[in-house]
Amino acid sequence: MDVFELLQFPFVQRMLLAAFFASIACGIIGTYVVVKRIVFISGGIAHTTFGGIGFAYYLQQLGVLYIEPLFGALIFALISAFIIGLPYIRNRLREDSTIGILWVVGMALGLLFLNQVDRSKIVVQDPVSILFGNVLLIKIQDLYLMLGLIIAILTITVLLYKDLQILTFDEEFARISGIRVDLLYLVLMILIALTTVVLIKVVGVILVIAMLTIPAAISNLFTHNLKNMMILAIIIGIIISFFGSMISLIYNLPPGATIVITLAFLFLLSLILKNLRFAIYKDIN
Amino acid sequence: MGKNIAIELNNITASYDNEIVIENISCDIFDGDFFGIIGPNGGGKSTLLKIILGLLTPVKGIVRIYGKSPKIGRKYIGYVPQYSEYDKQYPITVWDVVLMGRRSIRGLHPIYSSKDKNETIEALKKVNMLDLKKRHISELSGGQRQRVFIARALVSHPKILLLDEPTASIDRDLQINFYKLLSQLNETVTIVLVTHDIGVISSYVNRVACLNHYMFTHDDEKMISKEMLEATYSCPVDLIAHGIPHRVLDEHKKKKKS
Repeated sequence: MDVFELLQFPFVQRMLLAAFFASIACGIIGTYVVVKRIVFISGGIAHTTFGGIGFAYYLQQLGVLYIEPLFGALIFALISAFIIGLPYIRNRLREDSTIGILWVVGMALGLLFLNQVDRSKIVVQDPVSILFGNVLLIKIQDLYLMLGLIIAILTITVLLYKDLQILTFDEEFARISGIRVDLLYLVLMILIALTTVVLIKVVGVILVIAMLTIPAAISNLFTHNLKNMMILAIIIGIIISFFGSMISLIYNLPPGATIVITLAFLFLLSLILKNLRFAIYKDIN
Repeated sequence: MGKNIAIELNNITASYDNEIVIENISCDIFDGDFFGIIGPNGGGKSTLLKIILGLLTPVKGIVRIYGKSPKIGRKYIGYVPQYSEYDKQYPITVWDVVLMGRRSIRGLHPIYSSKDKNETIEALKKVNMLDLKKRHISELSGGQRQRVFIARALVSHPKILLLDEPTASIDRDLQINFYKLLSQLNETVTIVLVTHDIGVISSYVNRVACLNHYMFTHDDEKMISKEMLEATYSCPVDLIAHGIPHRVLDEHKKKKKS
């Protein structure tokens, strides 16, 4: 089957649209994550979403409330963003310990909740596809939620762009300039939480870190301007996630993992190219 | 002729991590001063800076910046941080670093105005860095980078320029140029600089205080060399070992001649 035939299928269109949304979110927020060196904070937030997905299924099982698994993920991501971003916790506990605890509690809760769900009554997504993503399972409702999140992310970042730049560059200076640093840091955590939720459908809980980190890291090899870094990261994200999705369909590979490996390969290639260029440049001089 | 008091420190005691770091510090810094605070590492210099900037509240005592509390008065201060306190890999150009100095004036408004941009040009001109405005901060020498951060501090038109260890990343030879720049700026702003490097107390500084838990201020300019010597001895030994005491004397004598 060739690419153009594939594009006729609604599920492929949904998959590409999801990848497109994911690339926008990870290009913008991933840039902040990379420059602020908070990749593992994002990892912590991302992994708690597994708990949220399990929680949503568990509520369905109890028959109390029907919530979409992705919405459950959003709730858990926001809770963990608040916990990590709270000044009280930030100033008193070691950050990496907090991250570690949230990370494993999220995963464990997810497993416990899923364990309680009777699969003969409720259709549960395979845990492996929750963890590693399955773009084939994207529903129209998921896309609406993702679109809403993207709009929220874009609006907040455009309004707070200059303050987020100062915060991520020089926190002390941010404080002196009259920025309410604790509040803005919390906002950044919430932005990461929103982004995480956009990403989990595409690459899965575990591979979210890859989408957040690698496009921005590649982009940073070629530009020293924060705005350009975001734009380039978005473009890289779109190209690679489209390319990876297509490869995964044609060769019947897991899409999330294929996208991640393609990204990692591009990162390596970019690193080599950049150093080559640098070496040649030095030679000429 | 009464001089305006720029920074008033009145009987300040402050602790950091439950340990008293500075005790009973009183000092007035006047408008137009070029004020040097020297002291060893761990002597309380950064604590004092945090107090002046309103980032730390003292246990006891009053701080006033042009008569206002630090949290309000810090808008009069342009702060130049230590070299180590920001991320050199951060993707940001000289231009964007200086422009962010306008945040204190622009507030939450999402876009910098053309006035902000003009001010940025002016500030870069003042430190002679306009040509390099498109450079990434990692592509600058220590001295150039320091001048960029001075421009960032100047761009909000502060009345006081507060510098933390400004010469730590600059070669000895270039330090003279750096002090020339500061003394030019001193024509319009009050300068307070903090350092552990006694060599910094060059002929440009007009007042000196020695900070190590307590602070000694040396106000009488005529007595400065004798007083300085005493002050140096009342400061801990490692300070003497780092700097060369007689060099300090030399430079102050030069000043008297001029």
